[in-house]
Amino acid sequence: MDRASVADVARPAIRWRTLSRSLRGGLKGGEYAWAVAFVVPYVAVFLAFVAYPVVYGLWMGSEASLYRELFADPIYQSTVVNTVLYLALGVNVKMFLALLLSGFFMRPGWWMKALLLIFVLPWAVPQISTFISIHWMLNGEWGFLNNVLYTLFHVEGPHWLNDRWMALGAVIVSHIWKWTPFWTLILLAGRMAIPLEIRDTAKVDGATGVRGFVYITFPLLANLYLICTLLSTIFLLGDFNAVNFVSGGGPANTTHVLATLGIRNAFEIAQPRLGVAAVMSALPLVIPLVIVLMRKLRTAEVQL
Amino acid sequence: MAYLSRRSVLRGSVALGASRVLAFPHVAKAAATTASMWFAQGFVQDEDVSLRKAVADYEKASGNKIELSIIPFAPERQKIISALTSGVVPDILDSNPGEILQIYAWQDRWVDVSDVVETQKAQFSETALQAAQAYNNVTKKSSFYGVPLRAAVVPCHIWRPLVEKAGFKIEDIPKTWDAYFDFFKKVQDNLRKQGERKVYGLGFQVTANGVDPYNLFMAFLVAHGGQNVVTKDGKLHLDDPKVKQAAIKAAGYLGGAYRDGYVPPSAINWNDADDNNAFHAKLMVMDVDGTLSTEVAVKAKHPEWYYNDMVSHGIGYPNDNAGKPVPSIVGLTNGLIPKGAKNVAVAREFLKYFIQPKVIGEFVELGLGRWLPVMPSLAKSSFWQDPKDPHLRGYVQQGLLGPTIPDYYVYNLAMAEVRSQHVWSMPMIEVAREGAKPEVAVEKAFKRIEEIFAKYKRA
Repeated sequence: MDRASVADVARPAIRWRTLSRSLRGGLKGGEYAWAVAFVVPYVAVFLAFVAYPVVYGLWMGSEASLYRELFADPIYQSTVVNTVLYLALGVNVKMFLALLLSGFFMRPGWWMKALLLIFVLPWAVPQISTFISIHWMLNGEWGFLNNVLYTLFHVEGPHWLNDRWMALGAVIVSHIWKWTPFWTLILLAGRMAIPLEIRDTAKVDGATGVRGFVYITFPLLANLYLICTLLSTIFLLGDFNAVNFVSGGGPANTTHVLATLGIRNAFEIAQPRLGVAAVMSALPLVIPLVIVLMRKLRTAEVQL
Repeated sequence: MAYLSRRSVLRGSVALGASRVLAFPHVAKAAATTASMWFAQGFVQDEDVSLRKAVADYEKASGNKIELSIIPFAPERQKIISALTSGVVPDILDSNPGEILQIYAWQDRWVDVSDVVETQKAQFSETALQAAQAYNNVTKKSSFYGVPLRAAVVPCHIWRPLVEKAGFKIEDIPKTWDAYFDFFKKVQDNLRKQGERKVYGLGFQVTANGVDPYNLFMAFLVAHGGQNVVTKDGKLHLDDPKVKQAAIKAAGYLGGAYRDGYVPPSAINWNDADDNNAFHAKLMVMDVDGTLSTEVAVKAKHPEWYYNDMVSHGIGYPNDNAGKPVPSIVGLTNGLIPKGAKNVAVAREFLKYFIQPKVIGEFVELGLGRWLPVMPSLAKSSFWQDPKDPHLRGYVQQGLLGPTIPDYYVYNLAMAEVRSQHVWSMPMIEVAREGAKPEVAVEKAFKRIEEIFAKYKRA
């Protein structure tokens, strides 16, 4: 056998050894076995609790006929409109308020810290009980709000949850009330991360007050604000509690969002696949959001 | 000091596995005599106590074990659907909601329990036997997939003090349908004249939540002559002028009462127990609501309400406008064995034990009579015929001894979806809120019902 043919025979074995070595990351013998043993539980957990539910969900909602049935449901169209309104108003009003309030809470003083403590209470208390309380407060006949209106002004208040737009408004306001403190804290932390030198230098150059916010603070916070907005949108798309416990999807199923419609289809109508399809129909919105979020997270690493 | 090595870890793992294998025969032996069971929690604690007693008595008599989980009504529904979707099922469960028997029988998901029903077939009411059967779209046959356990109808519940405060007596209430409900409008008018700002005459669930609005609409549909909306052969008869007229009258009356201010405004958003709570708060003079839950819920705390102030019209359930009795629609709770259950033998044996007249009779009686028995012979007991009890005789007359029919999803599964999608609620609500003409609103509902029925065509 000549030298060339020996090399040809040995080449696949060499390739395999090279590949194997690169996969092992330089680990040898027992070290490699222990490394695998430590990684296996994490991989198993990932497969069982992340990959499997996602794939199972995709499989459950994969039939085209489900979407035909879903789109034929008269409730679905109003649900999509509600979801868009809930996202547009719920996220943007909340984030804008959080941005303003984070500036307010930057002010010095012990009383500001005390006020911040009170301010975060709505976020800290359990959400289901608070949403149920809001539902009762808004009851037209014996609710707290209408009783106060009658006692103080002898005015019969409206039936807040009997009209689609008032009920949806109540849901959006409840969400904003509940989650504004959380995002305020995040943006407050972002503001506090802006180096003092930059702010002091800007002040010397005359950038104080609104100018300081427009030219210094907001540009530095912009990426964080955008990431928070995207995250909040993704959270809100899956939000079930506010709608379910404040309006219950009523009156007459007019205030459902995709998350509550999915639960209704799955468990009230006993069609789990149709329920999954309702939630899956949000994917065309979710996937671009996640892609933009990932891209922004990369740039955010270097900016703030 | 001992060091962990790869070999020691492997040795330990093998030893642990071996111990599990050695222990397995014991577990297997226990499993052969153990069945798991899910059941909906009662409205009052006595219902759960009565179920636990029946289970304990069975365990004592048989030597088998029943692992009983009593789960609140709404979460149990979700748990059952999740279990049937995933395939990890208990051995026995109750039909919660009732139509789940028909929905999953269509998909061949229940064990045929004809042999269990056969043991007491002569005892069951005809309505109970009809409701325990369902069509299997895989085998293309109907069979017994449920074992009747208990039943319920929809009586009327009335506050005597409010009727009397308005200047009337309970005996003044008319006996025919429209006049009966019109009476409570007069009661409200009189109460308003006396300054009662927040009392309404009628507790109609003009809503699209829970099971109540469907029950209410169907009671009105049947009372106005629409009984043949679906016949026993499963055929839909929306083209029958009597059915159409009945639906228009039902939507017009129920929606109209709300529109005219005789129903609490919040009723448009009520869910399951909201009408019970509103009734207990005396927000309305009368309520049309399934079971005696309204009464039994207050029996212990307010016996004077139960015995004096509350009137449940079972015996006084109104006739139709021509004076003929109106059949009550019966909702049945059935015992079910899902396919994939690990211990079908014990499940069958338990259900055979449970439906013995003495056992099942005691089960409903210890639960304070919120639920009705499914065997007419049990209605003769001293419990149901107690002359001191103002509710039970009427309830059992209305729901077991008087004219009854099973719910319409028994005849055709499509009606289960009509019920769960609240298709009948929409004409009521459109008349109530938007002032729609009942004819137009009913026509829209009919179109939707036809679409749903098209999905469930039998071979």
